[in-house]
Amino acid sequence: MEPLAPHEKIFVDSDIVDDENHGEIACHECHGGNPDDPNWKTAHKGVVKDPTYPDATTACGECHDEINENYQKSLHVSLSPYKLIIDERASSNTVIRNKLGCAMNTHCSECHSSCGQCHISRPNSVEGGFLDGHLFQKKPPMQEVCTACHGSRIQKEYLGEHKGLLPSIHKEKYMKCDKCHTGEEMHGNGKDYAHRYDVENGPKCVDCHKEIYRREAKNVITHRIHKDKASCHVCHSQPYNNCSACHVGKDKQGLAFFKTKSSWFDFKIGLNPLKSEKRPEKFVTLRHVPVDKRTFDFYVKDALSNFDTLPTWKLATPHNIRLKTTQNASCNACHGNESLFLREKDVEDNEKEANKNVLVPVNLIPKKQKWQPK
Amino acid sequence: MKYFRVIGMAAAFCLVIIPGNTFLCHAYEDTQCFQCHTSAKKLIEATREIAKTRPARKSAETSGEG
Repeated sequence: MEPLAPHEKIFVDSDIVDDENHGEIACHECHGGNPDDPNWKTAHKGVVKDPTYPDATTACGECHDEINENYQKSLHVSLSPYKLIIDERASSNTVIRNKLGCAMNTHCSECHSSCGQCHISRPNSVEGGFLDGHLFQKKPPMQEVCTACHGSRIQKEYLGEHKGLLPSIHKEKYMKCDKCHTGEEMHGNGKDYAHRYDVENGPKCVDCHKEIYRREAKNVITHRIHKDKASCHVCHSQPYNNCSACHVGKDKQGLAFFKTKSSWFDFKIGLNPLKSEKRPEKFVTLRHVPVDKRTFDFYVKDALSNFDTLPTWKLATPHNIRLKTTQNASCNACHGNESLFLREKDVEDNEKEANKNVLVPVNLIPKKQKWQPK
Repeated sequence: MKYFRVIGMAAAFCLVIIPGNTFLCHAYEDTQCFQCHTSAKKLIEATREIAKTRPARKSAETSGEG
C-alpha cells in the first residue's frame, strides 16, 4: 500500500457535492469545528477526526439505523475477543489488572475500525488518510482497508507475497475480501462473540463449494471420508507465517512500540481447540500467535499469570488455499507423516502446558493407507 | 397571452433542460473547510506548518510482524 503525503490524507474531492446521499451534509455537521472562522488553526478547535468512533449514532445512525444498531458489537469495533483472551490469561490481582488495562489501551485498543475507517478513510492504525477524497466507498477497497490491517499474514498469504508460496486460488479468480466476508459479517448482528470463529454469518467454504459431498463430485470419496474429521485448511492450505513472543513497551520519547522475537513458516495440524457444532473437525491447522508470558512486562510483571489457560498455537484459517497441496498429493503424504502434526517436540518448554490440548499424540496421527482413492 | 406563453416556456426550459445541480445550493461550498480541503496548495502549506511542530508518532523500536 502506497503511503499518502500528509496533504493527500485530508484532501477532499469537490465531487462530494454530487453525492446525492451525503453531499448535502456540511463538514461541520459531522466533524464539528467552526466553518466561519477564516483562521484554520482556530477553526479546527473541537474538530473530531472520526465522528463515527466510538459512537456512530449521530454521524451515520440517523440514516443507517439498522447497521448502527449492531455497531458496538461488531468485532472490528468492540475488539471483544482480544479483551476476553487477554482477560483469560491475566492475573486475578486487581492492581495488576489495572496496569494491564493501561497497557492494552496503549497497544491493543487502537487496532479497531469504525464506519469511517472502512468507508471513508484508511484505518487510523495505519495512519489514516482518505480513500478517495472523502468520497464514500460502499465497498471498502481491499488493500487500503482490509489488508492495511490484516497485512503480515492475510495479505501476504492471499496475494502470494511469501517467497516460494503461491497465492490463494481465490485471488487468482480475482476475488476480493468481501466475496467471502460480507458487509453483514463485518457490521455484526448484535451478538457479542468471544471469538471471531464463533460469528454466525462468518464465511464457510461450503457456502460456495456446496457440491463437494455430492455423489457426482470429483473428489467426493475423499471429502466424505474427511468430513468433520479435518478442516478444509488441513488439506488445502500451504505453509503459513507464525510469530512468537511479542513484547510491548514505550521508548525514551514515550512512543509505544512492539517487538516480535521471530517469525517462521510452518504448517501444523493440531487438535481443534474450538470444537463446536459449526466447527466439529477433530484436526485443524494451528498457527503460533505472537504472545508470551512476558508480553506486558514493561508495564507490570506477571500480568499473564494464567498464561497456560489458552494455547499459543491457535486455530487458524490460512488464506493461501490451493486445490493441490503437498499434504493432499496422496493419502500418505499426510497419513503417517508425523512432521505435519503438532507434536510435543515442536512446542517450547514454557508453552507445553498451554498447548497440551492441541498437541497430537502419536496414536492419533492417522495411520498410513494402503488404499488410494481413484 | 403570447407574453405568458414565453414565460411558461422559459420556466419549463429551466426545469427540464438545465441540470438539477444548478439549482441546488450547497451552502457549505463557501465555507473555509470546503475551500481549504479541496485545495491541494492550501493543504500542502498547512500540513508543512503542522509538521514543523509535531514530533514523529511511531517509535523506531517497533520491529517484527504484528
